[in-house]
Amino acid sequence: MIELQGVVKRYGSLTAVDHVDLDIEKGQRIVIIGPSGSGKTTLLRMINFLEKMDAGKILMEGRPVGYRTDKKGRLVMEKPHVICELRSEIGMVFQHFHLFPHMTVLQNVMEGPVTVKKEPREDVRKLALDLLAKVGLTDKKDVYPAFLSGGQKQRVAIARALAMRPKLMLFDEPTSALDPELVGEVFYTIKGLAEEGITMVIVTHQMGFAREIGDRVIFMDNGKFIFEGHPEDLFSETMEHPRIRAFLQKVL
Amino acid sequence: MTSRPRSSVSCTNRPGALFSALGLLLAFLFVSFSQADAAQPDQYELLARGTKLVQDDRLAEAAAVFDQIPPPPPGEDAGIFVQAHINAAKIHYSLKDFASSARLCREVLAVLPDNLEAKNMLGQAQIAQTPEWLRFLKDMKTFFPTLVKATSMTLLLVFITMAISPIGGLFVALGRISRNRLISSVFWFYIWIFRGTPLLLQLFFIYYGLPSMGIVLDPFTAAVLGLGLNYSAYLAEIMRGAIESIDSGQMEAAKAIGMSYWQAMRRIIVPQTYKRLVPPVGNEFIALIKDTALVSTIAMVELMRAANQIFSATFNIYILAQAAIIYLILTSIFTVTFRKIEDRLGVYENR
Repeated sequence: MIELQGVVKRYGSLTAVDHVDLDIEKGQRIVIIGPSGSGKTTLLRMINFLEKMDAGKILMEGRPVGYRTDKKGRLVMEKPHVICELRSEIGMVFQHFHLFPHMTVLQNVMEGPVTVKKEPREDVRKLALDLLAKVGLTDKKDVYPAFLSGGQKQRVAIARALAMRPKLMLFDEPTSALDPELVGEVFYTIKGLAEEGITMVIVTHQMGFAREIGDRVIFMDNGKFIFEGHPEDLFSETMEHPRIRAFLQKVL
Repeated sequence: MTSRPRSSVSCTNRPGALFSALGLLLAFLFVSFSQADAAQPDQYELLARGTKLVQDDRLAEAAAVFDQIPPPPPGEDAGIFVQAHINAAKIHYSLKDFASSARLCREVLAVLPDNLEAKNMLGQAQIAQTPEWLRFLKDMKTFFPTLVKATSMTLLLVFITMAISPIGGLFVALGRISRNRLISSVFWFYIWIFRGTPLLLQLFFIYYGLPSMGIVLDPFTAAVLGLGLNYSAYLAEIMRGAIESIDSGQMEAAKAIGMSYWQAMRRIIVPQTYKRLVPPVGNEFIALIKDTALVSTIAMVELMRAANQIFSATFNIYILAQAAIIYLILTSIFTVTFRKIEDRLGVYENR
């Protein structure tokens, strides 16, 4: 469905993402793990065009999208309206939620379809209420985000992303900013979505995602994939990669 | 020892006394020629004595003598009585005995109700009789409607500027944060000029300077233009600061659900600045109330100019105090109102 080919991102002399290839198939649940600064979040943000790549290709349904080369042969991002359209098909959940504080929970969820897709308000309202029921926050629909716990905020953020009915959901460390006792509710919400067959890419430090949700796990280090495969293999004794073993010993 | 008060009295009273004496003389001649045979020796004798006393500069005594002349019986000629009483009233007035002066005038008016001289004299005596503070109060009451009317012009200028400048300010702020260098520097220049020069100078330039380029504006348009441009520049910097203070994650979250830059600005970023804007913008608008006083220099009749005009005419310092109180009332109302708006906009915050 979405394919990355030879994607590169540089910050000055540092190469954050170094010639990465990634093929995201429909219905796949990809979990990317790795130490801090390994480039996983940068990679995720490039899929959503929040970060401009320096080289490579992003293909959607086999077609290169989002970039063109200018007269000097440099890669430039397409005009904003093209990018907006691409983004509206990809949902994203952030580490720090980024709910809109001046809107109620329901308004947050309705905002995308109403403002971007110009869908009729009543239809969107029904959809938003369904989504809030799915993430278990129907009773909080008229509350402002400031009055929610971290776990509740993140579940609203998930509902907000889902309201756009995206083809792909991106999760950027969705539980990293949460108190330990709140991780579970967000984890099970995401797990529920996974069981519905929603295509997703999750960047995380939480090994539970890799083990219980992922059907493909990628271990990233220094901007490169150093392991890509079935979760079982990552955790199995046969994983001989010293870098991965050191990391797993630390986080498990 | 006696010469000192005497000389001071004669100094201040000499013109009055001279005038009285002259009047008296005329009256005397008039009476002696036309009514020589009217048998009222008392009246003539008193008039003569009084006149003599005036000539000797013994004014108080003269007044007392004139005062003794009785009113004529109804139907008889009142010429001497009236003239003597008015003279006595003038003497009392010049001796600052305004109460006696007023009484004498009233006695004249009781006999001749239409006597203009007595009427004028009475008016002057009554004005002089009222204490200074009461006179000031009366002035204030007299001119209060004028000040209120002028205040409505001040408020009109304030409200128009309050309506224009946030729109202009937002426009300039958005231009200022544009990633397009040219647009950004054009708006930087605008802010630089209007924040960096006195408002008074800007008003002068618009009202007195632009006509030399063929643009003639009436004072009201010039005032609105000057205040609007100046306040847009100030509000733009406040708004730019508020927009830039919003967490960058908000823009990313808006973009992540497919919003364009302008949709995100309109729906997500700018609405979040409202609460942060209220205190500094409120301050600007309170300053604006006071800054409208500057447009009095370009022929706009608003509170400051009206107060100043009345003050120039009356030298009544309390008129300025009254204007100050009106300004204070306006700024106080604004302070309270902005406080309330701020509270109301804070509903989505957990406190």
